[in-house]
Amino acid sequence: MFLQQLVNGLIIGGIYAMIAVGYTMIYGVIQLINFAHGEIYMLGAFFAVTFISFLGLPFFAAFLLSMICCAICGMFLDVLAYRPLRESPRLAALITAIGMSIFLQNLAMIIWGSRQKPFPHGSVPAYFGQIAVTFGGVNLSWFHIFIFSFTLVMMLGLHLTIKKTRWGKAMRAVAQNQTMAALVGINVNRVITYTFALAGALGGAAGILVGAYYNSLYPTMGYVAGVKAFAAAVLGGIGSVPGAMVGGVILGVAEALGAGYLSSLYRDGISYAVMIIVIILIPAGLFGKLIKETKKSM
Amino acid sequence: MKKTKNFLIFGLVLCVAVIFGATSTVMAGDTIRIGVASPFTGDLASYGDNIKAGVNLKLAEINGAGGINGKKIELVWGDDLCAPKDAGTVGAKFAADKSIVAVIGHLCSSATLAAMPIYVRAGMPVISPTSTNPTIGDVGKGWFFRNCYTDDFQGKYLAKEVVPNLLKKKKVAIFYENNDYAIGLKDSFMAGAKESGIEVTGAEAYVAKTTDFTPQLTKLLTAKPEAIFLCGYHPEGALIAGQARKLGFNGPLFGADGIDNVDYIKIGGEATENTYCTVPFLAEASGPAGQAFAKNFKAATGRDVDWMSANAYDCLGILADVIAKTGADRKKIRDGLAAINSEANGYKGVTGMTYFNSKGDCAKPAFVKMVKDGKFVSAR
Repeated sequence: MFLQQLVNGLIIGGIYAMIAVGYTMIYGVIQLINFAHGEIYMLGAFFAVTFISFLGLPFFAAFLLSMICCAICGMFLDVLAYRPLRESPRLAALITAIGMSIFLQNLAMIIWGSRQKPFPHGSVPAYFGQIAVTFGGVNLSWFHIFIFSFTLVMMLGLHLTIKKTRWGKAMRAVAQNQTMAALVGINVNRVITYTFALAGALGGAAGILVGAYYNSLYPTMGYVAGVKAFAAAVLGGIGSVPGAMVGGVILGVAEALGAGYLSSLYRDGISYAVMIIVIILIPAGLFGKLIKETKKSM
Repeated sequence: MKKTKNFLIFGLVLCVAVIFGATSTVMAGDTIRIGVASPFTGDLASYGDNIKAGVNLKLAEINGAGGINGKKIELVWGDDLCAPKDAGTVGAKFAADKSIVAVIGHLCSSATLAAMPIYVRAGMPVISPTSTNPTIGDVGKGWFFRNCYTDDFQGKYLAKEVVPNLLKKKKVAIFYENNDYAIGLKDSFMAGAKESGIEVTGAEAYVAKTTDFTPQLTKLLTAKPEAIFLCGYHPEGALIAGQARKLGFNGPLFGADGIDNVDYIKIGGEATENTYCTVPFLAEASGPAGQAFAKNFKAATGRDVDWMSANAYDCLGILADVIAKTGADRKKIRDGLAAINSEANGYKGVTGMTYFNSKGDCAKPAFVKMVKDGKFVSAR
């Protein structure tokens, strides 16, 4: 049972991680907790289903197209909702984020209805359901393998983008000091918008994976996932990308093992308890740096 | 400091908005107004659709025949999302609106339990077509009635009749939602299982709106149960069915009235085959009145009748009968409902004979349905 629970935990943990990096990247560049991020995740799942059932696209094409749409949604979110408030107190942007979250949730209810929907039957490649490897009594399907490898590739790609590319450098510069970044010729607003696009694409991908793997999507699905991923980002140290990855996996595994060995009734409680304990012991989170609160008061 | 102040102002505005929202009343015309409380949006909106279809059909019949003593009935909808906190808001709104003389609802037991104290304080008679939690009668203090059976009965029926005689299984795992309905049902099932010698190999809980049930299922399946009790509602039930099959469980699944919804099959697909559930009304297995109703229902709404619609239809029928005798007054309606206390003066509706005991509960039989080839059919 331990191995099976570990697999369960790694799957959901990888998904939390993909959402959590979105929170952490955006926090890194503009110190905003983007509460509407969970809704981008929800939109990802709904876009994919719409492309599959109305345009008849195959799974992977819909997957890619949906990620692009989520990236665009992320950019719109920034340009329409947050950019006008760039110079306002942080509280204003935070409230706006909550407002956008409620707005997007209700928009999705109007467009797709409030009922829970299945992922279109037969749209996921048939071999996904087949067993790829068996070890220690645990069956791993190709879908498991796909989720694992996709998450890994995305995380690695993200890490390299941030560390090795010019654009990643610009992003890190903006995160460190927006004024200085602007002075050396970085278009700060564009970097921020692109960060939203990247976060959106990853969040959307997570939404599609969850929708397809657990075979269910509904307009309010972003809320719980968003809160969990936010907890994962805080656990890893908000603002730190590797922290969010590790935080997501820890939270997922803690949840699965907690439900398996302690009490399933307190499954969510266990994962949050892990977060609280870490934050008490290491206030900045696992990978975070303690920075003094300077400028911009609330 | 500034932050706290901002929050205080925000909270104050919110309070004012809630109070105004709750007390705003619509002027009553020459109609009898009855509140109907159900989840009309959200995950369980399809249940609300069932209730709406049932009461609307009865409404059209009553108003089409000239109303009650010349007065037409008007329904007021209250969306409680099946959530206790929203049920409280709906309850306060209905209670404050003096033109509303009775309430049909709420649908979910948790919602009814939350709203009931408000109705008791306001002296509002409530009749629920669907709330099956056994404890509501105590909270209702004489103002609560229902025309469905309770989970006490349903859980024991599952444990003593369905599992041993229909499924012919001996080892059962329980997977229950952490709410009033499911916990009540689980407890009565366990009590019944003890009497009929069924072994409960494990009981695990989940929280509504979860999508990942694999950790709990993994744990339940290690004890090798022969059947799994889906003790909750259909949206989660459908996902649990899918994930249980993915984890290699091929035995039968069974549940109570919460599972009975076409969406269960729509969401769960093939995984839902071989699922059994108990329902208070089943057209195929009921008498001629029920059969005729099923036909009318199909003609009027274009869909197959479900037990919630049938019970809701009868709820409005019972209220209309009582109001015709007593007049449209909250207290008199309550007394009229309480007077329906034996088979001799019971209400004969499409769901059979309804009469209430001192707690407002009624004794009614259960029927069993199953999923076969992507459809709900009678299990016997």
